[in-house]
Amino acid sequence: MIDTQLSRASTAVELTIVTPEGVLFRLPLAGPASRLYAMLLDIVIVLGAVNGIGLLVYWIFAKLPGFGVMVITLAEFAIGFAYGALLEGFWNGQTIGKRLFHLRVIDQAGLPLRIEQAWVRNLMRVFDALPLAYLVGGASALSSPLMQRFGDRVAGTLVVRQTALAAPGEGNWTRQKYNSFMDYPSIAVNLRRAATPELASLIQEALRRRNELAAYTRRELYRELARYLQSEVSPFPDELVERLSDEQYLINASGILFGDQRPSRVQG
Amino acid sequence: MILNLERFQAQARPRWNNLESLLGVLESRPDRRLNPAEAQQLLELYAQTAADLNRVTHGALAPELRQYLERLVARAYAELYYAPPKRSEIWQPRRWFRIFTAFPESFRRQSRYFAIAVLVTALGCALGGLAVRYDPASVDVLLPADYLRNPGERVHEEEQGQGEHMKTAENEAVFSAELIRHNIQVALLAAALGVTFGIGTALLLFENGVLLGAVAVNYTRKGFGLFLSAWLLPHGVFEIPSILIAGQAGFYLARLLLHRRENRNVRESMREWLVLVAGLAMMLVWAGIMEAFFSQHHAPVFPYWFKVAVATAELVLLAIYLSLIGKRETSAEASGLPSESR
Repeated sequence: MIDTQLSRASTAVELTIVTPEGVLFRLPLAGPASRLYAMLLDIVIVLGAVNGIGLLVYWIFAKLPGFGVMVITLAEFAIGFAYGALLEGFWNGQTIGKRLFHLRVIDQAGLPLRIEQAWVRNLMRVFDALPLAYLVGGASALSSPLMQRFGDRVAGTLVVRQTALAAPGEGNWTRQKYNSFMDYPSIAVNLRRAATPELASLIQEALRRRNELAAYTRRELYRELARYLQSEVSPFPDELVERLSDEQYLINASGILFGDQRPSRVQG
Repeated sequence: MILNLERFQAQARPRWNNLESLLGVLESRPDRRLNPAEAQQLLELYAQTAADLNRVTHGALAPELRQYLERLVARAYAELYYAPPKRSEIWQPRRWFRIFTAFPESFRRQSRYFAIAVLVTALGCALGGLAVRYDPASVDVLLPADYLRNPGERVHEEEQGQGEHMKTAENEAVFSAELIRHNIQVALLAAALGVTFGIGTALLLFENGVLLGAVAVNYTRKGFGLFLSAWLLPHGVFEIPSILIAGQAGFYLARLLLHRRENRNVRESMREWLVLVAGLAMMLVWAGIMEAFFSQHHAPVFPYWFKVAVATAELVLLAIYLSLIGKRETSAEASGLPSESR
């Protein structure tokens, strides 16, 4: 299906997947701190569950406490491994701790992990937990580009951050019917040709965030952008520019760049 | 081409919303099955959204929108390319009982690694045994506990029935649980130490072998061979092979990691390792029960010949189980499996 070795390029903070269709997307990897917190929470939950079961078992085996201890000892041991393996295997790669900290275990090809992988990565904890407090696993995660402890390396899994994102809101910058830059079609076309997508997006973002910026910052930012456009990209005539505020200059430029108002007279 | 984000979003948002709601439905479905119409719709929306992501990545600097589309594409990709296990199969008891036949099958398929484990342990045994045989003082270094160093005292105590009053069924239950837990932990570690390219597994088996050899020679040298056999064998015939199988799993894992790039069926190989681990855990449960409830009772409670006979019967049954139960593979079948035993 896909060749994980070839299609995976990684950085310290994200996993990049190239799908068979050639689509590239990135998944943010979980940091060691959030994983540690999730694990501590899971330990608390397991201890709570074991103690709860323990009380029940003591009650059932009230006359034979020895057998009660036997059941609890074995249950505690089994729950320690099965908690992570079963929850991760059947609950979308998440334990309760991972869900609360927005973490998720996935296959390193970007797919949901399988039950075998969940068992392997959880059984490998006996090695990762050595010599104490997960030092081996922690060192492995910190030294791995994909933040994998040994259990993850063997099972071919990794932990990603899982936060729900909403699509960003619509742009709310000023719309205008008349754009004085349109009176200079050749310069306007030049602006469209010379501006890179990065510069265009920068102008758009600066305008979109108008109300988020402090007055002074906004003034300085707009001035700097307008000066740069005017001097380096496409100089409009001085008599026009002198009449415009820096903000109006950027609004006009954005109108030209994003094609709402095409300098149609040139084309026609 | 510079992308007009505003217009682009207005056009594309309906299909993103559609994809999001379709994914919501699929992800909440426990078996994650797709019907043909959903599959078609998912494929189309995935392709369109992936194309949108490409346009945003190359035509605009809109990190938030890009992240949003990446998450959406990642979710759709996971739904499209992941074949979920059939839930109905998971809850079938018959599937769970499969472990009883799968274990000896895996054991036989990977028997080469078992042979390595036996060899390493035998080397340790030989070293421990010879050291004690030719240098009795080495007992103090090799054997950690006093009762192992001075068999006479221990045998005397046991045969006098000292401590027999402690051997209530309840104490034995606690003891057996602790043994089971400890032994499984050690065995699991031996299997997991395969990640050290098998070096850790080999060291653990070797150390175990040294201990075993030293104890055996120490007791036999002082004339307590029969006591030792009756004491260790009823649980040892399960415990020792299970540690050897843990070694087998460890060496198998090492080989798997070393040849990861060549191995096309990692999933099947992982299952093989898990089956070996599950099987040895079952063996250790039995060994723990025997050790606590049976092995610790010496003559006159149980005569030694009886204990040795029980151990022999156990060993025969185990050997039959491991060598005969489950499918016998023909070479044609075997070639389709990810085994490295050929």
